[in-house]
Amino acid sequence: MSAISALFVLLIVLLLVADILFTSFSDFAEALAKPEIQVAFRLTLLTCTAAAILSIWVATPLGYLLSRYRFPGRWFIDTLVDIPIVLPPLVLGLSLLILFHLSIGGWELEAWLRDRVGFPVTYRWPAVVLAQFSVACAFAVRTMRVTFDQIDPRAEDVARTLGCTRAQAFLQIAIPQAWRGMIAATTIAWARALGEFGPILVFAGATRMRTEVLSTTVFLELSIGQLDAAVAVSLLMVAMAVFVLLVLRVLGTGLTA
Amino acid sequence: MLPKNRIFLLIIGSAASLAGIFAILNLDIDSPSTPDDGQRSLMLYCAASNRAVMESIAADYENEFGRKIDIQYGPSQTLLSSMEVTGSGDLFLPADDSYLEMASQKRLIAEELPIAQMQAVVAVKRNNPKSIEQLKDLLRDDVRVVLASPDTAAIGKVVQQTMSGDDQWESITSTATALRTTVNEVANDVTIGAADAGIVYDAVLHTYDDLQYVELPELADAASQISIGVIATTDQPQAALHFARYVSAQDRGLKRYAEFGFRTQRGDVWSDVPELVIFAGSMLRPAIEETIETFEQREGVKVNRVYNGCGILVAQMKAGQHPDAYFACDSEFMNQVQDLFLEPVPVSQNELVILVQKGNPKKIKTLKDLARSDLRVGIGHEKQCAMGWITQNTFREGGIQKEVMSNVTVQSPTGDMLVNQLLAGSLDTAVAYLSNAAGAAESLDAIRIQGIPCSIAIQPWAVAEESKYPELAGRLFQQICSQSSQDTFAAEGFQWQIETSAPTQR
Repeated sequence: MSAISALFVLLIVLLLVADILFTSFSDFAEALAKPEIQVAFRLTLLTCTAAAILSIWVATPLGYLLSRYRFPGRWFIDTLVDIPIVLPPLVLGLSLLILFHLSIGGWELEAWLRDRVGFPVTYRWPAVVLAQFSVACAFAVRTMRVTFDQIDPRAEDVARTLGCTRAQAFLQIAIPQAWRGMIAATTIAWARALGEFGPILVFAGATRMRTEVLSTTVFLELSIGQLDAAVAVSLLMVAMAVFVLLVLRVLGTGLTA
Repeated sequence: MLPKNRIFLLIIGSAASLAGIFAILNLDIDSPSTPDDGQRSLMLYCAASNRAVMESIAADYENEFGRKIDIQYGPSQTLLSSMEVTGSGDLFLPADDSYLEMASQKRLIAEELPIAQMQAVVAVKRNNPKSIEQLKDLLRDDVRVVLASPDTAAIGKVVQQTMSGDDQWESITSTATALRTTVNEVANDVTIGAADAGIVYDAVLHTYDDLQYVELPELADAASQISIGVIATTDQPQAALHFARYVSAQDRGLKRYAEFGFRTQRGDVWSDVPELVIFAGSMLRPAIEETIETFEQREGVKVNRVYNGCGILVAQMKAGQHPDAYFACDSEFMNQVQDLFLEPVPVSQNELVILVQKGNPKKIKTLKDLARSDLRVGIGHEKQCAMGWITQNTFREGGIQKEVMSNVTVQSPTGDMLVNQLLAGSLDTAVAYLSNAAGAAESLDAIRIQGIPCSIAIQPWAVAEESKYPELAGRLFQQICSQSSQDTFAAEGFQWQIETSAPTQR
């Protein structure tokens, strides 16, 4: 059985080696020198981080709720939060687009945000964050729920008998106990946001120097046959993923874990 | 275990990080609603396959006019769906114009400007190592072929249509290694070596250094048109059309398209504010004047109208004044200058009527009555306008030419002048067009001329062969053929001649 597992690791290594062999250092450097790719890189970093932070904010209390409380409709909420995981990504993007532009009695969310609030979303960076968040958060909720399920509620119960409110028990006992899970959830959310493509293409659009993230760049380079640039950006994304994952691991456990 | 105060630091820290990120994002990305020079950017939905050429054109345009083009790339079908759901955007440039046709059917597109053609060819590795020269080579066992799916890619549809006649499509799909969803996937497969050959558009290979194409006689008819469409709901139609004209101008955007491997056709010559010269018979003025004004406003162009008797217009054209388009009162006055124009299109029909003052005080009933000695008759000038020429034919056909001509006191180059003289009382009756009568219905009555077919004039439109703006003139013609314009023609007494609602003038 371990041989089959080893094959998976080997597959990943071979994929990376194939990409590295396909491109050359000069191709890589040339692609990364393009201003469009640098802007996409910066945008990707910022939006993935924003999506990950928003995800952990939502996932921690929601995961706690799903783990600790038995209430009517819990199964329904539990099912709902998994929908973004199950759906094809394009469905999510189309649904977001329709949500913001569906006219109900003449009222439209996008028009309201643009004209009343002064904060348009569609085809702007908020759409990128929202698209990434919608998918990443679902994974984070799943992770946090499992984390709280694995934590013995005894310590919280003791705190409650000693005078803590439920909120105090959550903040002072449960969250410190769950910090490894929170790091794992943040990591998964960030990584998932990095890989997001379908919803961004539909809802945020692929506009250079504005809403283009690195996953979109790969698609666009493939669309005009620039395989060298597509592979270079792919390797850049791999490097980003490895770097962020390592940093979060070090913050969490140190490399010895 | 984290100490208690670290929880709050973590919460506050992440909130601060989030706020910082949002602030940076807001500052980083320039907003189209507040550009530096006050010009709003245009939003173009662009097929990903056109990205390279469109970015160079958009850069040229921004350099020349300062207006930024925000280009949103994607698969054509995805872009079409986005346009439909959001109702936003200014322009749409799909991979081929079958998507524009879909968009037009949904009333999403107002105008289409043709840009280029793409020919279906076979993509092979450089130097054609498999020696593919004809269709049957693609059926060999040692050749792996990939095709684009007709369900998802324009080229798949085009090739299937071209090949379906003699079962070639069934042959090639049964031996094909795979059907791919986009033309780029086909080309990428050949590049990487997953296939030996694939059917692609010729222009697609411009950015593939390792590939070349082979033209097959069986694919000669498999070609697609690329056009750019102006979205019907754009709130800056003048700016959108300005850019669309730029893209489709032979000395601007089309040069770029040719550089990138597309087969370009003749486009308009570029001008920031082009001026069309339109010659039109004066009887057409009430029918088309408002349409032309609306067209000028929407396109941001100038249309210099010259309304006059068609005989006079013909003389001007023969003397060397050449309009961009000519809308004649009758086919005869188009035939006289046929060599200057592309194929004329008969547009409308107008008939001669006998005009009398309200209530018909002279009791005129038929053409023969015009020979009575107590009448002062006005007619069109035979050489100066189609109306006069047709009037003479009608008189001859009715056998009354000599008698009526002795009563003619005025021969005018336009029907409007006859109407004015009739209203002023210096004429008792006039022979003019029904459309002239329509303009003065409160003061004049019209009596139909019975049984003489040559009393009906057919009005043809044609674009000049040497016009610098044939596409622009063609779009004006499309507006003249619009439903609201047809309604105006009908109200003015014309009968519409064209069966299809919007023929394309080429």
